[in-house]
Amino acid sequence: MATNPTTPDSTEDEAAALEAEVQEFLHKTVLYRGPDREIMRNHKPAPRTALEERAIAAGTDDLTKTIIRNRLQTSANEAKDMLMHIASAPSAKWGDLISGIFTASGDLAVASSSGVLIFSVLAGPPIKYILKHWKDEETVGVRDGDIFMHNDARFGNVHNTDQSCLMPVFHEGELIAWVGTIIHEGENGATEPGGMPSAAESPYDEGLKISPMKIGENFRLREDLVTYFQNSVRDPKLQLEDMRSRLAGTMRLRQRLLEAVEEYGRDAVIAVTRGTLEFTGAEVRRRLAAIPDGKRRVVRFCDNTLREPILLKINCTIEIKGDEMIIDLRGSGPELMNRAINTVLASLKGMIAQVFLTFVWPDLPRNQAAFEPVTVLTDEGSAFDCSAEVPNAVSMMTFFPSFSAVEHCLQKFLYNDKHTGDEAKSTEIHASWWPMINGFLFGGYTQHGYFVGNVMTDINGMGGGARSDRDGEHALAPIFCSMSDLGENEMVEDELPVLCLANRRIMRDNQGFGRFRGGHGHQQVMTFKDSPLWGWMAIAIGSKFPLALGLFGGYGSPCQPLMKVKGVNLLEAMREDRSLTVDDPVALMNERPFADAEYSTAHTGMQFEMAAPGEVYAMSQGGGGGYGDVLERDPEAVVRDLRRDLISAWTARSIYFVAVDAATGALDAAETERLRDEERRARLSRGVPFDEFEQAWTTDQPPAGLPYYGSWADRTVIHAGGPDVTMPADALQPVAML
Amino acid sequence: MRRISVDIGGTFTDCFLVWDDERIEAKALTTHHNLSEGFLEALGAAAQDLGQGVDDVLSGVESVRYATTLGTNALIQRSGPKLGLITTLGYEDTIILGRGLQYGDGLTDLEKSDLPGADRPLPLIEPENIVGIRERVDHAGNVVVPADRDDIRAAVQRLVEQGVRGFVVVLLHSVMNPSHEDLVEEVVLDEYPGSYLGAFPIVCSHDVSLKKGEYARSMSTILDAYLHREMQHGLRSLERALRDRGYRRPMQIVHNSGGMSQLNRTHALQTVHAGPVAGLSAAEQVADELDVPELITVDMGGTSFDIGMVTGGGIRFYEFDPIVDRWRVQIPMVSMVALGAGGGSIASYDSTHHDIQVGPDSAGSDPGPACFDMGGRHPTVTDADLLLGYLDPDYYHGGELKLSRRRAEQAYKRLGKPLGLEPLEAAAAVRRIVDNNMAQGIFKEVALKGYDPRRFTILAYGGNGPTHACGFAEDLGVQRVLVPRNSAIFSAVGAGNMDQLHIHERSVYLSLYEALTQSLFTDYEVLNGHIDELRERGRKDIVRQGWASEDVEFRVEFDMRYGDQLQLTSMIVPFDRFTSARQVLDMIKRYHASYGERFGEGTQTPETGIKVNQIRVVSYVPLEKVVFRDSAPPGGVAGTGAMAADAGDGGSGGVATALAPAKLVKGTREAWFAGRPTETTVYDYAAIGPDDVIEGPALVEAPHTTFVVGPGWRLSQRDSYFIEMRHAA
Repeated sequence: MATNPTTPDSTEDEAAALEAEVQEFLHKTVLYRGPDREIMRNHKPAPRTALEERAIAAGTDDLTKTIIRNRLQTSANEAKDMLMHIASAPSAKWGDLISGIFTASGDLAVASSSGVLIFSVLAGPPIKYILKHWKDEETVGVRDGDIFMHNDARFGNVHNTDQSCLMPVFHEGELIAWVGTIIHEGENGATEPGGMPSAAESPYDEGLKISPMKIGENFRLREDLVTYFQNSVRDPKLQLEDMRSRLAGTMRLRQRLLEAVEEYGRDAVIAVTRGTLEFTGAEVRRRLAAIPDGKRRVVRFCDNTLREPILLKINCTIEIKGDEMIIDLRGSGPELMNRAINTVLASLKGMIAQVFLTFVWPDLPRNQAAFEPVTVLTDEGSAFDCSAEVPNAVSMMTFFPSFSAVEHCLQKFLYNDKHTGDEAKSTEIHASWWPMINGFLFGGYTQHGYFVGNVMTDINGMGGGARSDRDGEHALAPIFCSMSDLGENEMVEDELPVLCLANRRIMRDNQGFGRFRGGHGHQQVMTFKDSPLWGWMAIAIGSKFPLALGLFGGYGSPCQPLMKVKGVNLLEAMREDRSLTVDDPVALMNERPFADAEYSTAHTGMQFEMAAPGEVYAMSQGGGGGYGDVLERDPEAVVRDLRRDLISAWTARSIYFVAVDAATGALDAAETERLRDEERRARLSRGVPFDEFEQAWTTDQPPAGLPYYGSWADRTVIHAGGPDVTMPADALQPVAML
Repeated sequence: MRRISVDIGGTFTDCFLVWDDERIEAKALTTHHNLSEGFLEALGAAAQDLGQGVDDVLSGVESVRYATTLGTNALIQRSGPKLGLITTLGYEDTIILGRGLQYGDGLTDLEKSDLPGADRPLPLIEPENIVGIRERVDHAGNVVVPADRDDIRAAVQRLVEQGVRGFVVVLLHSVMNPSHEDLVEEVVLDEYPGSYLGAFPIVCSHDVSLKKGEYARSMSTILDAYLHREMQHGLRSLERALRDRGYRRPMQIVHNSGGMSQLNRTHALQTVHAGPVAGLSAAEQVADELDVPELITVDMGGTSFDIGMVTGGGIRFYEFDPIVDRWRVQIPMVSMVALGAGGGSIASYDSTHHDIQVGPDSAGSDPGPACFDMGGRHPTVTDADLLLGYLDPDYYHGGELKLSRRRAEQAYKRLGKPLGLEPLEAAAAVRRIVDNNMAQGIFKEVALKGYDPRRFTILAYGGNGPTHACGFAEDLGVQRVLVPRNSAIFSAVGAGNMDQLHIHERSVYLSLYEALTQSLFTDYEVLNGHIDELRERGRKDIVRQGWASEDVEFRVEFDMRYGDQLQLTSMIVPFDRFTSARQVLDMIKRYHASYGERFGEGTQTPETGIKVNQIRVVSYVPLEKVVFRDSAPPGGVAGTGAMAADAGDGGSGGVATALAPAKLVKGTREAWFAGRPTETTVYDYAAIGPDDVIEGPALVEAPHTTFVVGPGWRLSQRDSYFIEMRHAA
């Protein structure tokens, strides 16, 4: 029987056409193009594109590629330096920013040498989002001269106080790269001033939520949009200044990139940007392979939500297997529905990448591929891999201690290599850095009449961990940025109505004790005057559970509270009574010299709080962890620390077991030896076999009454506030805090 | 004109003697134990050239100008006096913490990035010798908490008991109200009068700097006090030595501000890097005389690569918070950027990119490059230059230092092994990379100041400058390189050309445009008062040195910003006094134009306010300049024992062009050009005449350096005092 040979094909064609139409309909008919899961969960560089394959095949010689690479690095640094010159955000002025060159696919290939390297893994997703969702969208598109902006961490970036400027780079009509700059701006119109609202109970309390969007064409910002952004924040001056400064930095980088293309050819430049990513990933793999396979494990806790004390578990196991690393955070605490400390997975990865780029391998090229050989395992819906529906404005509260967990485990991996050939090329083995932003945020009117909201640069003075051969450095740098600047208080007080009554003084006993001690943090005693309206807030954890870990017998960091003296204008009181001082907050709180004042201490999470002139708020940056046994610390070093008021007499005697002649302040060597011998014997008498200890120590459930969040005995069962409320780890639900 | 100018460096003391129409240059080894010995030896060599005795010269010159960094040893060895710091209670650890980033100030980018490896420098004042006193002044100068005599007395007593030998006083906002610092000084002098304390210095911060920033002002004050004794000791003894030999006038000290002053009007801090700054001053003169308005100066020595800029129009680039050693200070210092690439820069294998990186580590001068055969094993830039044939192992420093090719080869064999490169190939790669690194470094620094480096001419000096100049100029896109003849003493030459100059500045908080009220600045009386105060300080400084008041000229500068920017941009103010809105608008327009040129049109934000945060007055007396043009010294540098070699009688073979007469040719040797060893003609620098042209590739040997003339480049003499290299393109 004759058949029509075209019938089946026609049917197939029709089916295919129908399917295409359906797909087009589904693709276009989207209620809301929200955060893109496919982009946000993948931190690996995109595969080589045809353009990159062609460029690499062109065979630029190695020497020329080295020269181009150096040139692009210089250009990224130039743009960042320029931005620091002209930006206005306090954080940017002191280093919290980055500039970089991305591949055409949106992978960050060359970032500025300094600045906040967390962005190295976080800056690319918004570009990938633009390419996926807006490039072919007729109302948006990607063209030469377009300017894009973004700030929402659910699309990339650390948190929504960071604002970016992203620009495509075309050459002869073809998209060959992207360039961009990002600044931590501060004020963003959130429910509290300063850009990091701990009072936020949903993403919609967190201020500006800018998904990647076009804000200008033909290299010019759209003034109606600039006005819209100014209209959405408390500090329109800052918003305007830095939208233009970011554009200036981005344009400079674009110019430099195109000059390199002009000089060396497009293929050579593309081969270098792509090659830099690939080289970096390969080098990290080589270094990982040099470390013996194994697992290291540590458990950490976030001790409050910035609203109430809790214990939120960070269950960290790190495995090195060949040339790969697996960071397993499964079993950690669940996301909190109405608290802003949750982190999106990408932000967490960015922070962990910072361990690699600054605390283990500072010599690595600054780009996204440094994290390429790493796999991060999490429970979706945990506070460390949160959903898009919970707030994340102060995600640092979860990803900073996660940083410490990874930092700590890596030191244990690296110790042997460091002392037997250093094949893995790590920097110095060290105890944990203080990983928290103990500094005040502020909001209100300045003495010049402007309304402002931002963060004091004191957050940059985190104490350094002790090294394997020497003490840690005091208040050196935040974990997220090298060469970050505490600034000059005289200049701060020029701009703001604050009086920093003690601000560059090291806090006594605020060190991780050990054979080598951690570096101390510095104290901040703040008040204000000459403002009709002023308030403070604080976003720090670690006032109950030590954040920095000791290493190989060293102590972790001490905890310290937020302190307040209210109800009295201390400045007026000090003018009247010349015996009164406020420079030492510990003495202030213990001795309570101001009559009729209200003295209080609390954990270091404080929502925005209006203050009266002359009222004092105080806290301290934390200290770094200690290294090695306190009984091995050189007694003379203990005496020196005592003389310099770094430690108290009690600490010298009761922690370090060092005897000091009370009259002369000199070391009593014989008594010290006796004290230390006695303590060694006491340790032996206190010790029990491990099995015995484990049996006595472990329980099946967390204690009743403990606000416990995370797994206990079984990684797959997650507690949500106590022993009786549990969820399976693979079906986590947001936990509402009451 | 008769004057002596001297630059005392770490190794050599350079002397430039102008005696009527004579220009004489001389060198001697620096004598660190007694600087006058090296000084007089160099001067003796110059005097001998002149046919005069040292005493005759010293009694016949109108000025002796002296450039050196004083007290460096005191810094390195921490051998300065034991000082005590009195500061505002609660700020005792300001200098210990050093704004956090102090750990990286003065270090390389890689060292800055390595937080676990970071170490702060040893403090100049021990923490136990820092005491706080109970006092507080606010940002505007209002006393918030009064200082108390008893409290101050107790603090001073404590420091004295701890054995301090001098006091530094830094109180918050003292630049706005110095009364508390004055009170501390009064109490100290009251309790411990001069007869008791002897020569103990008491230095208050507002006397050293009127700029805000408690850390940088503290370090400025501390360094000043710390170096004061050594400076006084060293210079007074030198002054005595000169007086004994017939010099009767005050000695002039070169300042890093680009001017000079008498010893008694000099702070020690103003002498740091004075030598390199003097070199830049000479470059300004070169730019003026040769009508080359835009110059990039490059001083490449064994361990350093310093760049500076001359742009004409009286504009000087300053660092306002420069790093001295490892400390940030608050003095206006002529901007010289050290890029840390010299002949001693070490090349190493970069496992990440499987290629070579050069620097930032340096072999320094001890042990130095491998080829020095003094114990250095690392492959350096100088080793590469030797292997590539650019350097003659028997004629380095005029033959004073024999180079070991074998050592260099061994070092480069090790470097090339993981890359599969032969030593020569590795050396060629190093050469290419280091030249490009230098070009990139120059590009960034010049571009950050808002200029296009490709429009500039390079003025190269220092021992390694001419060896690499064509390489980095080409990478930079610069077509022209000038090298002053006898550039080895260029800084001393510059010292001879400086003006009497003082800079005074103060922090202010003025809005030329106030965004909130949309109003222009009108308080002219306040502004003119600040300008007058600074002019008067400068005038007094200069008049005290014997100049008439009417000799003094002034230049007013504002450091401006938009809104709340951190960094300030310096603008020359064309007005002595402000009397109208027209002048305010004029400054706003100038700033707008300058900002647009530097950072891009459209990036200005005048809407957010336009502020002046520093006012600076440069007070100066212009002095007669030494003219370079047509004034070539007669016979090279005296006193080195390495005078220019005799002109050769022509080499065999070679590739000398018709333009270069055979009398210039010393011989030939294989040198690396265009990617391969090439038989190359070697010319004698001393024999080059005004009409001679040498085409690259070529080598031109002088006792103090070797010119590497790349393919496409031409070398010739320019105005008798310069060698010019031009690219054919």
